[in-house]
Amino acid sequence: MNGQARYFEDFSVGQKLAFGHYEVTREEIVEFAREFDPQPHHLDDEAGARSMLGGLAASGWHICAMAMRMCCDALFVPGAARGGAGVEDCRWLKPVKPGDVLRMEVEILELRAHPRRPVGFVTMRWDLFNQREQVARIVTTPLFATRGGA
Amino acid sequence: MNPQYWEDIEIGARRELGTYTFGEDEIIAFAKKYDPQIFHLDPQAARQTVFGGLIASGWHTVAVWMKLAIAGRAQEKQEDRGVLRAGVSPGFEGLRWLKPVRPGMTLTYSSEVTAKVESRSRPQWGLVMSRNEARDESGALVMSFIGKGFVQRRPK
Repeated sequence: MNGQARYFEDFSVGQKLAFGHYEVTREEIVEFAREFDPQPHHLDDEAGARSMLGGLAASGWHICAMAMRMCCDALFVPGAARGGAGVEDCRWLKPVKPGDVLRMEVEILELRAHPRRPVGFVTMRWDLFNQREQVARIVTTPLFATRGGA
Repeated sequence: MNPQYWEDIEIGARRELGTYTFGEDEIIAFAKKYDPQIFHLDPQAARQTVFGGLIASGWHTVAVWMKLAIAGRAQEKQEDRGVLRAGVSPGFEGLRWLKPVRPGMTLTYSSEVTAKVESRSRPQWGLVMSRNEARDESGALVMSFIGKGFVQRRPK
């Protein structure tokens, strides 16, 4: 798979794709946190160091937003797929800190065509990696894809 | 007083987190940064999509839940009503975006404790699960998820 337009028919179970390059800055972490999640460990170095995060780190919602941006750029905006109606499961496994460089790896777990409508559900596992090859966030969820060729 | 430690939290306890009105400008600003799909970005072009108009990113809708939850804690601290010793979150489950959020819509947010689990790996902390919701002006459910958060155990 690559970043080209994709329809439901383009996906198959076990397929993997890798995309994205997101450089995380202190300014962006703090800006997002001020707006949506102003807890000390997302705003302040010392408070971050005292927390479970071990240093200033991004809000989990910010992590999801950054992952969404990478998915939009690679999949949703150029292609036929679009964001789904939810997220089955999300785990924040590692803190995301200033200077981290994030990327995505996605694996297709299940395909299900809609019985009547020209769409299908593609269940994927969305791993967000940092530059130390650690998985910082795992999301498992289906998305809709338009069925092509009809 | 509000619960401060994991032991103080009661299953079924419900918090009303307040309301939030989504403006067109902020819907677009969020989308430009994090979710640049056309139906979040361009009011004209969005009319041609399945949503029939501009709608907020689901991540925006849920980020506002966090914003209101933190604002509520800050208010309680200011009023000296006791502050929950909350830590970080290991994740969430079952996030559903059920209805589109359009410019000018006002959502009402809430949080209700559904379960408590001890943490084996972190004995000073316990996990609290909560069902978190946003509803529209007619009371219809717009967004919900099961949140998970660490809360400090009462020191022995």
